Amino acid sequence: MYLLGNASIYIGLALAIYSFIILIMGIKTKKQSLINSGKGGVLAVFICTAVASVVLLYLLGTSQFQYEYVSNYTSSELPLGYKLSAFWAGNSGSLLLWCFFLTMYTAMIVFSRKMKGNPMVPYISAILLVNALFFFIILAFVSKPFALLPSIPVEGRGLNPMLQNPGMIVHPVTLYLGYVGLAVPFAFAMAALILKNVDDFWIKMTRRWTIIAWLFLTLGNVLGGQWAYVELGWGGYWAWDPVENASFMPWLTATAFLHSVMIQERKNMLKIWNISLIILSYALTLFGTFLVRSGVLTSVHAFGDSNLGMYFLIFMGVVVVAALYILMSRYNLLKRSAGEFTSFISKESSFLVNNLLLVGAAFAVFWGTIFPLVSEAVRGTKVTVGIPFFNTVQAPILLSMMFVMAVCPLLAWQRSSTKNLKKNFLLPAVLSVIGMVLMVTLGIQKAWAIIGYGVIIFLFITHYLEFYRGVKARRKMTKEPVPIALYRLMIKSRRRYGGYIVHIGIAFIAMGIIGSQNYDTETMKTLNIGESIDVNDYRITFERLDQRAEGINDIVYADLTVFKNGKKIGTFQPEKVFYGNWDEPSTEVALHSSIVEDLYMVLSTWDENGTATFIIKINPMMSWLWVGSIMVVIGSIFAIWNGRYQNVTPKYTGVMKEVA
Amino acid sequence: MKKKFAIGILILLFGFQSFLLQTHASEANKEYDYKSAEFKEVATQFMCTCGCGQDHYACDMAGCKNTESFKKDLVEMLNQGMDKDEIREYYVQTLGEEILTAPEKKGFSLTAWVLPFFALGGAGTGVFFLVRKWTRRQEEVEISEEVTLQDEVEAEIISSMIDEERKKYL
Repeated sequence: MYLLGNASIYIGLALAIYSFIILIMGIKTKKQSLINSGKGGVLAVFICTAVASVVLLYLLGTSQFQYEYVSNYTSSELPLGYKLSAFWAGNSGSLLLWCFFLTMYTAMIVFSRKMKGNPMVPYISAILLVNALFFFIILAFVSKPFALLPSIPVEGRGLNPMLQNPGMIVHPVTLYLGYVGLAVPFAFAMAALILKNVDDFWIKMTRRWTIIAWLFLTLGNVLGGQWAYVELGWGGYWAWDPVENASFMPWLTATAFLHSVMIQERKNMLKIWNISLIILSYALTLFGTFLVRSGVLTSVHAFGDSNLGMYFLIFMGVVVVAALYILMSRYNLLKRSAGEFTSFISKESSFLVNNLLLVGAAFAVFWGTIFPLVSEAVRGTKVTVGIPFFNTVQAPILLSMMFVMAVCPLLAWQRSSTKNLKKNFLLPAVLSVIGMVLMVTLGIQKAWAIIGYGVIIFLFITHYLEFYRGVKARRKMTKEPVPIALYRLMIKSRRRYGGYIVHIGIAFIAMGIIGSQNYDTETMKTLNIGESIDVNDYRITFERLDQRAEGINDIVYADLTVFKNGKKIGTFQPEKVFYGNWDEPSTEVALHSSIVEDLYMVLSTWDENGTATFIIKINPMMSWLWVGSIMVVIGSIFAIWNGRYQNVTPKYTGVMKEVA
Repeated sequence: MKKKFAIGILILLFGFQSFLLQTHASEANKEYDYKSAEFKEVATQFMCTCGCGQDHYACDMAGCKNTESFKKDLVEMLNQGMDKDEIREYYVQTLGEEILTAPEKKGFSLTAWVLPFFALGGAGTGVFFLVRKWTRRQEEVEISEEVTLQDEVEAEIISSMIDEERKKYL
């Protein structure tokens, strides 16, 4: 196994070098046979990473502690699922996973039906191979997944209990799929620049891949938030930790790209800007990895100090400089834009504002994340940049973003006339003002909440109107019943309506965020058995405190009976888990969710005499956050689904006869 | 008229807001404990040093020992009549700015707060002038090749053709 694992990495490295060289030679000499050999190499490289991954999974699954990685992150009593998920618990395993996804994506593109006969393929694969090469070098020489220990330990160190949660099995995988996914649009962009061909086909393929990466990035972040919410016991879901920021920044810039590319598609403008956004998104993924692996910033996600971060920083530098060089050398070609703007009040300009805000938000996150370093460098004082900073700075930017999102669908391309504006916006504006007044009279007093919910109402109405008018226009022609008209309307314009579903999902998420951030209540109380805590409409009675053993772990739990307005809801068990091979205990929250609010119960401490201290929180609107996230996923899948009616990706129709 | 009405409503809204805020402001002379809102305000300013990555208010006592004494000190200071800012000042003096969950809004740290908005403002102005340049250029083009489609019959024919075409795609 040792041999097989290591061999697959070294052979993978050799094959990646070979395929890269042979592809470049093929491109230079225009020999299809060389290109075909390179393509075969890509597949072989993918097989190598797949074999290495299977070997590592096998070693983890069978607890072979002579391997440093296995003994560092697992122990024999761990359930099989968590033994396997230790694959991405440490540096080398997670880099292997990264490399596996990267080579998988490369193979998918090289052998995709849509890309057949496309001269971009050799370029794209060569660029992605350079990436893979970087990871192979790291895996082979810096962070080796199959390193052996001098002596075989009896037992492994075990997996960090924080990571022993179903959410933690999926969260890193989806995040990596998103992270790695952004390398694909980057490769497409570079290939297009080199070939001097930024056409419709390029836009459509790049956008598809960006949506895929974006979707996984979104999913990864949401799952991480969900995990933090149930596992960490602090009642929050987003802490603006450097690593969370690292995945949020490319998410913002990728979102900006997905919107501004529409202007390029329609008007053939902003080409340089769009490519810059792709380069930026990709560079930010590398920057994020640098943050996690270098230990320059303190973070709950950090993988510990290692010099790995430096490699990523250097690689990022090389990539950015190379990309900018290619971009500059094609500057004149891209500058020629065909379309023009006709008015300030148009869909085009709203997209520009959207881009401004998204990139502005990304900059604000970036600035906040690196500010501790800046402060230390400039005046030698360390500062902490935490949740209050980011909430204060991001709230106005993201709220303006929501407003633009609400307004944009009803603005016309080219130019919106005053009549058009009045027709489209009078009703939503009046209704949201009424909504805001209602909120004030119902006792909502916080300005942020009122403005935020007002904007969300506005957004719901404008999006509803989009669907309503579309269905109406369709029925005028076809006389179909409403559901059929709605269905056909949507599947004939997947991207547009998928996008709207995503918007509505984001609005739900915003509802959850605003509600839970502004109106959460929290109580902490020490109770004797039989005593209760009253919080809002709830009465929580402490029934008993007990202990049970699960494997080598001891679990202390309390039985709490919860009544709401006098009616019994049920009995809940908040827990504290003490691990046999880990110092810090972890919290298992007891949760009662409804569409209005979450009752969040944490067992904090207890005494010999049977008293226990509980933290009880009520987090309003939390369910909407998760509902919204599901809608975002549905919307994105709907948008990229290849429908019968839509030729989403036109076949390549370039003029150049090239090797492919 | 409508504009005035809208502005009127806005002013009313804000007026109402400040009225509500005032009614909440006048509560004084009470004992503070871990549950008081004032305590939350004070404790969320400080970063817990146990490595939990949370502020002292959020840090769960079971996992962390040093937050316990810190919280006790905070309550004492509050009961001695120190306010939020005085307590912050005290800790920044003794432990350094790092103890705060967010940088101070003065001195060099102020740049952390304002730079994002300066950047947004600058970029926004740039975008404004860019769009203005683009739209002006467009207007010039429009003036030079003014084509009018006044003929109603022609317009009707075109719209019926468009309708026919559209039906094919439904």
